[in-house]
Amino acid sequence: MSSFLLKTLTKKEEIDRIIRDTIDEVLVLRFGRCTDTVCLQHDDILAKSVTDVSKFAKVALVDVDSEDVQVYVKYFDITWFPSTVFFFNAHHMKLDSGTADHTKWVGAFHIKQDFIDVVEAIYRGAMKGKMIVQCPVPPERIPKYQLLYKDV
Amino acid sequence: MATLEDSFLADLDELSDNEAEMDENDGDVGNEEEDVDMDMADLETLNYDDLDTVSKLQKSQRYIDIMQKVEEALGKDSDGAEKGTVLEDDPEYKLIVDCNQLSVDIENEIAIVHSFIRDKYKLKFQELESLVHHPIDYARVVKKIGNETDITLVDLGDLLPSAIIMGISVTSLTTKGSPLPEDVLQKVLGACDRALDLDSARKMVLDFVESKMGSIAPNLSAIVGSAVAAKLVGTAGGVSALAKMPACNVQVLGHKRKNLAGFSSTSQSRVGYIEQTEILQSTPPGLRARASRLVAAKSTLAARVDATRGDMSGINGKALREEIRKKIEKWQEPPPARQPKPLPVPDSEPKKRRGGRRLRKMKERYAVTDMRKMANRMRFGTPEESSLGDGLGEGYGMLGQAGSNRLRVSSVPSKLKLNAKVAKKLKERQYTGGATTSGLTSSLAFTPVQGIELCNPQQALGLGSGTQSTYFSESGTFSKLKKI
Repeated sequence: MSSFLLKTLTKKEEIDRIIRDTIDEVLVLRFGRCTDTVCLQHDDILAKSVTDVSKFAKVALVDVDSEDVQVYVKYFDITWFPSTVFFFNAHHMKLDSGTADHTKWVGAFHIKQDFIDVVEAIYRGAMKGKMIVQCPVPPERIPKYQLLYKDV
Repeated sequence: MATLEDSFLADLDELSDNEAEMDENDGDVGNEEEDVDMDMADLETLNYDDLDTVSKLQKSQRYIDIMQKVEEALGKDSDGAEKGTVLEDDPEYKLIVDCNQLSVDIENEIAIVHSFIRDKYKLKFQELESLVHHPIDYARVVKKIGNETDITLVDLGDLLPSAIIMGISVTSLTTKGSPLPEDVLQKVLGACDRALDLDSARKMVLDFVESKMGSIAPNLSAIVGSAVAAKLVGTAGGVSALAKMPACNVQVLGHKRKNLAGFSSTSQSRVGYIEQTEILQSTPPGLRARASRLVAAKSTLAARVDATRGDMSGINGKALREEIRKKIEKWQEPPPARQPKPLPVPDSEPKKRRGGRRLRKMKERYAVTDMRKMANRMRFGTPEESSLGDGLGEGYGMLGQAGSNRLRVSSVPSKLKLNAKVAKKLKERQYTGGATTSGLTSSLAFTPVQGIELCNPQQALGLGSGTQSTYFSESGTFSKLKKI
């Protein structure tokens, strides 16, 4: 049981730095609040799998309550917490999970294996040069949501 | 000598089964007086009535000399051993060597006396010998019981464990022995006393050796302790003899063979005096075998140092002991905890393609056969033969063609299920044409009642008269033409 704490980022420079400095590894950024229950569940899964994927992925948490970070929240259009965004070599990786939004994963993962599968799929796709990958999680375990377009 | 001859004659009269041994005994009598050393050949002299002819050690000069010296030495304290002198020249060392030899001799002597007692006492209580194994214990028990018929009156509590006492009392009720005559009894008791004397002498000798062991072999005693060191040196017959032994022999010095009546010796651990050392007593039983090997090895090294008198202070021995202790402690450590292993990077390890004979044989089972290859090719300009003829069914390609090497067309069994119309046509063709119809087929039908009857066999098969046209007959034309 190592890594009881995942790194939490609160400033824009930190996020920039980590995106730039993660080379040849999938970067998993979770946007959320540490007090939310769904976020806690999601964070638990992330913490448990961090050692397993440590050779090809890095995990960091972004606290959505700080002002610096709002730029990113707006950029990625994050409205539901937790939302997970994947990067590889500073490219934003998209994930087609059958939902409306491919740019991120919304909600918590159900089991640890799901998360590891998603990270592996992204890694394989990215190494091949793809920008979007198919989600290997079966649809019953994908959190469903509806996109409501506001002011568009 | 006269008494000896008389006892011979007496034996001749009493015991009938000694006739064979009489000749050998005559020969022995001659060199008895010259031969001071005890051999196992002397077991043959056991059937004498007189103990002294059997056990001569106590009367021998050597024995008396050594015992005297030992008592002397035990009385005074010896000065510190001179460093640097060769071990063999030290007079005290010589005494120790003699003592070691003597203790071995005494042990043999005790065995002989024990056989003597046993043989005489057999007439009284035969089973006692198998119940009490140790010769000294046996002698004590015999002395206590004497000529008593009722064993329950005898108190054996301080001599033996209670389980054996119980066994003795039980068997004594069913023993077929009879009380001994008085003179035999006296001889037996005398022999018991002799055995006990020898035992106490041996103890004294061993104590002496043990007390001197610190100056004789300091390194060895540092490892195994002086008592066990004394025993080891005694059994080996000197420090140099012990040093010359390989460690595996040192390990089993003093091992008591206890496998009675067919018990396997694989369950016994082969450890001798080493088992009594403090080190081994304090190791957990699972590690005892390994530890005994280690202790035997290191003590052999120490004995070698002592034989050459290289280190009289015992520092070497202490260092070896420390080493042994550390090793045993290390064995008892728990194994290191397992670290969770991270998953390997995907696609980082290329798939190991295996080759070799086995894989080739496996692939052969699914490879395209030569026959199929021939069937796949076609000759230019000639229509190929096919299994159903006329281009239907599977084509045979180059199989069976004149130019090819294959002489025979072995049909590849086709998995096609023919549909009804094609099957019917095939049957029809089979009947009418075909070079391969059997010569014994005929179009005649034999009916039992009317004899030979010409009957259309195709009708029987439901093929009709053969001229019946089907609805869409390929040979037929329109069935009904109506002029409009």
